Amino acid sequence: MTNPYEVIGVAPTASSADIQKAYRQLAKKLHPDLNPGDKAAEEKFKELAGAYDLLSDVEKRKRFDNGEIDATGVERPQHHFYRDFATSDHAHPYTDNSGFADFMDTDDALAELLRRGERARANRRGQDLHYHLPISFVESVKGANKRLTLPDGGTLDVTIPPGLVDGQILRLRGKGAPGAGTGGHGDALIEVEVLPDRRFSREGDDISLELPISLSEAVLGGRIRVPTPTGYVTMAVPKGSNTGTTMRLKGKGAPRRGGGHGDQFVKLKVVLPKTPDPELEAFVSNWEKGKAFNPREDSTS
Amino acid sequence: MIMNKQEFLTHAGVQAQALDLWLEQRWLIPDQTSAGMKFSDMDIARACLIRDLKTDFGVNDEGIDVILHLVDQLHGLRRALEQLHKNL
Repeated sequence: MTNPYEVIGVAPTASSADIQKAYRQLAKKLHPDLNPGDKAAEEKFKELAGAYDLLSDVEKRKRFDNGEIDATGVERPQHHFYRDFATSDHAHPYTDNSGFADFMDTDDALAELLRRGERARANRRGQDLHYHLPISFVESVKGANKRLTLPDGGTLDVTIPPGLVDGQILRLRGKGAPGAGTGGHGDALIEVEVLPDRRFSREGDDISLELPISLSEAVLGGRIRVPTPTGYVTMAVPKGSNTGTTMRLKGKGAPRRGGGHGDQFVKLKVVLPKTPDPELEAFVSNWEKGKAFNPREDSTS
Repeated sequence: MIMNKQEFLTHAGVQAQALDLWLEQRWLIPDQTSAGMKFSDMDIARACLIRDLKTDFGVNDEGIDVILHLVDQLHGLRRALEQLHKNL
């Protein structure tokens, strides 16, 4: 930032009263809300206001004069100007058409255009309102009924369709902001976030799951219970299944657009008992074929 | 962002007594809901303008009344002009 004395246009010896006077003189001309059509006004006004904040504070001014602080970073924080809202298309209670009401009373083309604009605005549809809704993985697959609490204390019931994907946007017609006249309400747009699940993951319509099985289930096979988002199902594990063996549960994936379901892939993972077992150790020590088997035989490295 | 009365007072740096006057003069027209007054971003920006006029510019209440009336008319005209521009 440039020298605050120069910005305000006073000498460094100016009194507080002079500074205030000079500031007001400039601020009245530069305030963005008093110059709605001047795009550059905002930057100029911010610089001016920052300079005034510094020089109107006796303590800060003294420190600046002594060279203890410089003039950087004194711009005022984010300031919302009224002009950024006042000309919006949406009807608001501060609308005042008395500045051109007389033009609209005539019969010419200009009056017709003005009236048309007024009618369009009088019956404008309400604004769309945006919301964010996190749901669980299971809810995203099965579907769910959720209730959103709105910032104004109201609630909004949202039906999650089965098979929804992360980031999908649900549109609730007529649940947005009220419109003007016959314009009707806007829509509520709800961006749904599917929270990650510690068991399931999803790719397209298919769901994957890693399932731990015991050594005896892997060697001997058997029927095991497998979780799916819609509940448990029983699955046959064939004899001699291995870590990495992937089984397919047909139709147990997420609902498919246009009917049907994807599949659930169950990747097996053989897990030994947590504590070493003497019986198992004794068996493996006596298992001659097992010792001869080298699973790394084929690998080139 | 929508704020209730208390949040608004804090955010806009306005005294409750001053706000009562502003509401009475209809300088600010927040939404009235069953849960009390609701202030929009627009109301807050408008409050900042009133505050600037009052504290920084030294405008008295009568002056603010006149300025707001003219500013509202100016924006009405700007909107009409914009609409004309679109329709032409």
